[in-house]
Amino acid sequence: MKNLVNFLILFPLIFWLDGCDQKPVIAPSGKTIKIGIIAPFSGPVLAYGTEGLKGIEAARQLQPYLQNGDRIELVVEDDKNDPALSVQLLKKLVEKDRASAIITFSSSKPVLAMAKVADNYQTSVLAAVATHPDITKGNGFISQLGFDDDFQGTVAALFVRDDLLIDTVAVFNNPTSVYSSHLAAKFEMKFKSIGGEITDTVALTEETAELSEVIKGVYEQKPELLYLPISVKNVVRVIREVRKLDWKPKMMGGDGLISTMLGQHKEDIDLANGMLATDFFAHGMPLTPFGNRVSKKYREKYKETGTPFAALGAEGYALLLDAMSRCSDPADRDCINRQIRSTINFTGIIGNISIGPNGKSRRPLCINAIQSGRSKFIFKVY
Amino acid sequence: MAAYVTSALFVHTEDTAHLIEPLQNNSAGTSVTPVVFDAFMQSPHAQLTGVDHVVVSGPLEVVKQTMRLAATYHFSLGIIPTKEQIDLIRFYDLPKNPAAAVDLALQRDGQAMDLILCNDKIMLFKATVGRIPILDTPAKASWIRVLAAALKKFVGFKLYTFRFSTAGKQKINTAASGCMILQQSRRSFASSLISHDHSFSDGMISMVISAPISIIAYVTLLWQALRSSKGYKQLPSSIGYIKSPQIDIAAEIPFDVLIDDEDATHTPLHCENIPKALRVNVGKSLQDEGVSAADAGEIIDIGNLPLENELLKAKRHKRIPFFSYASEERFQDLFPALREDARINSIYLVLMVLSTMLATVGLYLSSASVIIGAMLLAPLMSPIVSLSMGILRGNIELFKNSIGKIVIGVLIALLSSALITFLFPYKPITDEMLARLNPTLLDLAVAIISGIAAAYSKSFREIIQSLAGVAIAVALVPPLAVAGIGIGRTDFHFFYQAFLLFSTNLIGIIIAATFTFRVLGYSAVVRRKASLVVVFVFLVLISIPLYLSFSRIVEDRIFEQSLRKERFLVNEKYLIIIKASIIWRGGNRIILMDVLAREPLTREDLNSFKKKIQANINKKLIIRLKTFYIP
Repeated sequence: MKNLVNFLILFPLIFWLDGCDQKPVIAPSGKTIKIGIIAPFSGPVLAYGTEGLKGIEAARQLQPYLQNGDRIELVVEDDKNDPALSVQLLKKLVEKDRASAIITFSSSKPVLAMAKVADNYQTSVLAAVATHPDITKGNGFISQLGFDDDFQGTVAALFVRDDLLIDTVAVFNNPTSVYSSHLAAKFEMKFKSIGGEITDTVALTEETAELSEVIKGVYEQKPELLYLPISVKNVVRVIREVRKLDWKPKMMGGDGLISTMLGQHKEDIDLANGMLATDFFAHGMPLTPFGNRVSKKYREKYKETGTPFAALGAEGYALLLDAMSRCSDPADRDCINRQIRSTINFTGIIGNISIGPNGKSRRPLCINAIQSGRSKFIFKVY
Repeated sequence: MAAYVTSALFVHTEDTAHLIEPLQNNSAGTSVTPVVFDAFMQSPHAQLTGVDHVVVSGPLEVVKQTMRLAATYHFSLGIIPTKEQIDLIRFYDLPKNPAAAVDLALQRDGQAMDLILCNDKIMLFKATVGRIPILDTPAKASWIRVLAAALKKFVGFKLYTFRFSTAGKQKINTAASGCMILQQSRRSFASSLISHDHSFSDGMISMVISAPISIIAYVTLLWQALRSSKGYKQLPSSIGYIKSPQIDIAAEIPFDVLIDDEDATHTPLHCENIPKALRVNVGKSLQDEGVSAADAGEIIDIGNLPLENELLKAKRHKRIPFFSYASEERFQDLFPALREDARINSIYLVLMVLSTMLATVGLYLSSASVIIGAMLLAPLMSPIVSLSMGILRGNIELFKNSIGKIVIGVLIALLSSALITFLFPYKPITDEMLARLNPTLLDLAVAIISGIAAAYSKSFREIIQSLAGVAIAVALVPPLAVAGIGIGRTDFHFFYQAFLLFSTNLIGIIIAATFTFRVLGYSAVVRRKASLVVVFVFLVLISIPLYLSFSRIVEDRIFEQSLRKERFLVNEKYLIIIKASIIWRGGNRIILMDVLAREPLTREDLNSFKKKIQANINKKLIIRLKTFYIP
C-alpha cells in the first residue's frame, strides 16, 4: 500500500521533472568585457537612465557572464540627454575605457548627434529608447532596440481609424522636438491616407501662451480624438484645458507617456483616465519565459514592478550578450555589430525581436490605456 | 383549589434551616416538623413513623437519598429547591419564589413518577457513558457554541464496541462513541430527538446511542444538530435509540459513568426503572404528563448503528475514517438493481444501435436537436453506475458484468456509425464533428459533473434517473459516434481524437461516480485491494491522454486568447483578428481566423501575415483566413 502511495506521488513528479531544463554552470574565464552605458541620470528625463540601468542590473544578475565565462563590466556615464555631451562620452568610452559595445538610453536628439560620428569609432551602439527612424541612417553602427516612429505613428493612425473607428483627429506636436514632430507628421500622413480627417494641427511648446484659447479653437472643430505625441508636461496642460471645457474627447500619446505620467504626474492621473498610448510594454500582459525571469529578479531586487525603460534595459543587455556570445572573440567590436544586426527572433520580454542589417528592429508594439490610475494593456501589434 | 397535607416532615441541612420558619408558618395550616438530614438518615424508620409527606431541601444528593426512602416508605415528596439548583427547578417545574415553593411542597396528591437506578445509583436527569459529542449540546445553544463543542470533542474521537441488553432479552452488539440515558433532560439535542416518545412515568428508560462512523457522518450529525429547532419524527443518521424498562450496558473497555453530571460509577452498567415509585409535587406543566405514554412497549431503533461486519471495521480503526462505509445489507433495494443494470439484454443493444445511428445522422446534418435526441435514447448510464459501485466495493461480479456491457455497447456504437459512414456517398466534416475532435477542459467538466449526477440520482429514488443519463450521453455518445465516423472514413487521426475524448470522458465519469458513492457512504466494510488497483489503473489511463491532450488544449486556448488581443501591421495594412480557433487535422495545427481589414489582402500580404504569426510560435501552422472588410 505504501509503495502504491509512493508511486502515485512520484508518477506526476517524474512528468514534471521531465519538463525542467538543466541550467549549465558557467566557469569564470578571468577575462572582463566592458559595456558602456550612456544615459541621462540627471535632468528632466533622468527616468530613462535610472530605470534603464535598473533593468540592466536585474538582467546582469541573471547572466553576469558570457557563455565562455568572460565577466561583464558596466561603465556608466551621464549625458544629461545633451547631444554634445553624448558625443564626448561616446569618444571616451570607446577610446579611453575600451568598451566593446554601448547601450544608450538617451532620446532621439542626442542619439542623432551620435549617429553622425558613430562610424568613426567602429563600435556598436544599441539605442534602447530613441525611436527616431533616422538614427540608423547614414551609419553602420547604431542599431535600434525599440520600434521606430514610422512604425509607431503608422500603428497609432491605423488603430485610431480601424479599431476605434474614429474619423476626425486633432494632432498636437512640439516643433522643437525631432521625436514629436516626426511622430505627429507620420500619424497625420497615415491617418489621412486611410480616409481620416485632421481637424487641426497644433504646434505646442513649453512657451506656448494662452493655451485655453488654442484648445477652444480645437474644440470648435469637434475632433473625436486628440493625438498628443508631446512631452508629458504639455500633455497635462492640454488635459487640464480640455477638462475645463467639460469636453471628453479620446486622447492618445506616444511611447513613455503612460509610465512617465504614472511615475512623475500621479496627481494628474485621474484627469488622464482613459488616455491611450503606444508603448513598448504594458503591465499585466503575458510575458515570455525570459520576461518572467527578469520580472521576478527585478521585483526581488527593487521591491517594485519595472517600467518600460527597465524592460528595455534588460532586453538590451541580454540581446547584446547574445550577440557577443556568437562571436569567437566576444570583445571584437566589428563582430558584435554584425551579430546585433543579424539578430533573428531573440526572445525579449513580451515577444521576439529581430534586428536587420539596417539596424532597425522588428518587435511588437503595445497599445495601453490609463484606467483607474493604472496602466492597462489593450492590444499588442506585430 | 389546591389541597394540602395536614402534617409533614421537613428534611433539611444547615444551609436550608432558614426554611423552617416559613414552612411552620404556612397558610395552609400544615403541621411541619423539621429534622436535620444526618439525623433523618440515622433512623429513618423512627422519623417516618406516621409520616405521609416529606418536604426536602438541600444538595442534590440529599434530595436523591430522600427519594430512595420515599420509594421504600411510600411517602409523598415536596421539594424546595435552592437558587443554584437550576436543573431541579426546570425539570420538576418548581417555583423559584420561596413562598410559592413552600406552598407547592406542602400540597398533597403529588405526581406519580418513575425512579431510575443505575448500578443502584439514583438517576434524576441523565447518565452518560463514553463520548457523546453534539448529543449533549443544549438544544437552544448558539451555532458557534455547538460548533466549538463538536470540534473540541472530535479530538481523538473513535468508536468502541458496546453490548446493550434490554428487559425483552434483546442483545445488541454495536460500535458507538457513547450513549446517554435520559429521564428528564429537556434541554439537550438528545432529548429533543425523543421528546415525542418520552415520559417520566411510563416505566421505561430511554437511551440514545451516538455512533458517527466517519468524519462525514460526524459532520452530518453536527449539521442536523445545528438545524434542529423542533423535535424529530425520524432519528438522525448515526443515532440509535433504545427504550426499555431495563438496560444493561457493557463496553470493550471500562468507561466512567456520569450520573447527573457527577462521576458516579463505571461500566458494566445496569439500569432499571422502578415504575411510579415516587409521588412528587411538581409544577403545573408536568402534572398531567406521561399518562398517555405509560403503556408504550419496548422500542429498539438501531438501523443507523454499525452492525455485524461493519462492527469489525469500526473496531479496527484507531480513529474514525473520513468516509462512511456500509455493508451490502443496508442497500437491499439498490444492489439487486445494480446487478440487473450490469447485465446485457436486447433492449440495451437495440437502444445502443439506435442512439448511435441517430447521433451519426445528427452529426452529418450538424443538427444539435437530432444529436440531443440520440442522447435521450442512449442507455449508457446504468452500466457506468454499476461499474463505479463495483469498483468502490470491490465487487468483482458487478465490475466484470458492467465493464463487459460497456465494452460491447462501445463496439456496437463504433460499428454502427462506421457502417453508416461507409454507406454514405457524401462524407462532409461538419462543425458538430469538429467540436468533438478538439475537446476542451469544459468537456471534462461535463463528464465529471455527469458522473456525480449519475451516482447521486441512483442513490435517491425520488430523483428522475434519466436526467443524469442525458448528462452522461452528452459526454459520451457524440464523441463515440464521431470515432465511428473516423473508422468509416478510414481516418485514424479522426478516430483517435474522438475516441480520446470519449475515453477521457468515460473514465472521468467513472471516477467521479465512484468518488460520489464514496462520499455518500457506499464504501464496503472490507475494502479490497483489487478495487484500489482498478482505481489506480483508471487514474493512469486518464492521466496519459490528459497529459497528452490537455496540455496541448490549454496551450491552444491560450494562443487563441492571445491572438484576439493582437493586431498585425502587414505591408502597411492593419489586420484585426476578431475570432481565432485552433483545430487539429491529420496532426496539423490549423488556425481558423476571422480578420477585419480595410484594404484588400494580396497573396504577399497573406504570406507576410503568416510569417509574422509563425515568428511567434515554434510549431508549424496552417492558417485558414476569412476576411471582413471595414467600409
